[in-house]
Amino acid sequence: MKNKILSLVLVSIFILLLLSSCTAVKSYQKINLSDPDMELSERHAKKFETAAQVYREGASGANGGKSGGGCGCN
Amino acid sequence: MENQEVAVDVTKRILLTIALLAIIALGFAQGNASDKTSSVYKKRVLENIEIDILSSYYTQDGDNAAVTGGIGTEKLDDTAFNISIAIPLSDDDVLSIDGTVSAYTSASSSNLNPFSGASSGEDDDDKDGDDDDDDDDYSTSATRGSPWVESSGASREDVWVSGNLAYSHTSDDRNNIWGANVNFANEYDYSSLGFGASFAKLFNEQNTELGIKGNVYLDTWRPEYPTEIAEYVHYNGNFSAGFFQDVDILDSNGIVVSGADGWKPISNTLIKDKARDSYSLSLSLSQMLSMNAQVSLFVDLVMQKGWLANPMQRVYFQDKDNFFIGNAADIPNYTTTSNREVFQLADDIERLPDNRLKTPMGMRFNYFVNEFVVLRNYYRYYTDDWGIDSHTADIEVPIKISQSFTVYPSFRYYTQTQAEYFADYEEHLSTEEFYTSDYDLSKFNSSQFGLGIQYNDLFSKTNFWMLGLKNINLNYSYSKRNTGLEYHIVSLGTKFMIK
Repeated sequence: MKNKILSLVLVSIFILLLLSSCTAVKSYQKINLSDPDMELSERHAKKFETAAQVYREGASGANGGKSGGGCGCN
Repeated sequence: MENQEVAVDVTKRILLTIALLAIIALGFAQGNASDKTSSVYKKRVLENIEIDILSSYYTQDGDNAAVTGGIGTEKLDDTAFNISIAIPLSDDDVLSIDGTVSAYTSASSSNLNPFSGASSGEDDDDKDGDDDDDDDDYSTSATRGSPWVESSGASREDVWVSGNLAYSHTSDDRNNIWGANVNFANEYDYSSLGFGASFAKLFNEQNTELGIKGNVYLDTWRPEYPTEIAEYVHYNGNFSAGFFQDVDILDSNGIVVSGADGWKPISNTLIKDKARDSYSLSLSLSQMLSMNAQVSLFVDLVMQKGWLANPMQRVYFQDKDNFFIGNAADIPNYTTTSNREVFQLADDIERLPDNRLKTPMGMRFNYFVNEFVVLRNYYRYYTDDWGIDSHTADIEVPIKISQSFTVYPSFRYYTQTQAEYFADYEEHLSTEEFYTSDYDLSKFNSSQFGLGIQYNDLFSKTNFWMLGLKNINLNYSYSKRNTGLEYHIVSLGTKFMIK
């Protein structure tokens, strides 16, 4: 378990270093990135679908939303 | 019924609180708006009050109900309603209020007491007022049930309500965002109080965002147990009192046995610790990769402590004799859907460790293909110290079919290994310390197909009183597990802004 977590953290740091080298996108170049469908979060319309998955699956979290607690689910 | 009245009462209180807070915030927002002319112009974090309304209908069915030990109907229907209001308190501050009401009827949870007229069609007439779901008028001949039949016990339906209040403040340069939230949830056997805080830092010309979020949930069980176990413990194993006094207990050959010589649960200890606390720490990183691509990474660390098992869920051991109540003729067909009139008495409720460490790690990658198509991709790896490893892959492809309409086809694949404490019906040994037959903790994979459509009113030209329509959407998803469980969910949502 500890090794798995350590691996995840190392992979995250590696990706973070990789991303920080990306070329900056200027404000006036962000029109496509500002499209509502480009938002880096789940659509609000899927709120209840995600809730069902949290109840019905062993895994949860890491989607920017709730990751535990608040219900008698897994 | 008393629990449902409490839930309705709580729902009313939450909705009233939300309405009151909305009115206060509205006044605050308007006050700030009038002061705005005296300050230096800066773009507001949120221009107008926004209201999201979402409702959904969910239905599922399967053959592995945890309440009846890993076999039995999993039929469940749920109707849910959510309203989220985001209110700009000033140029920099936003208050968000969110309320949800979810009402379900469940064949599975109704079988907490499977003897409530499942087959005979009798009503659940719990007359002694102890709200134990027991039908106090039941005669021996009528006491029959089946894991494959929905009983009419009070636990067949419930209402889950939740409320969330969140506040965020953004710095003048828009590079720092602080947030705090408090939330509450309640259902008839469970309540939760949660609070949290978050901070996000934007840098690299706002191409990069680093976020950290902490949440604490202090949850409490109001445990409900399978009827036979609750009654056995309540009457100290006296079969001449309570539920068992006029009931025949049958062995696996259908022969009536006396209570003292026959069935008894392996433990008299029910829930020892009614608390379930969750502590979560979430780290996120978002990065713009190009003019058309951006990515985000999420890593959560979730620690849970307390009673992590569900006290409603039965377990049957292979090394214990089996005992039944009901029609002896159905005993040979017990595990098949043709069994309509006999129910096996539980050996115990599920038992799980009092702590769990979850580590999910997710990634989103969105790519703007062209003005008509966007690719939204999500992947998550999850591992925990109960032995579950899982992978989730999700792709959604918004396609703009006109200036106003977008369709959202999607596909999601999920797979997980089983928890080390899981075994099927009658496969656990009574010598084990922890055990569950909850198929949500089994090894399985599932595929989900979805389709949505959204109408966007670009300039909010459609008005309802002071509300300007921003969008309206309809979504449908179908999911099927390789263990047989399948569900459908349809959602209708709309977003308004107050002009």
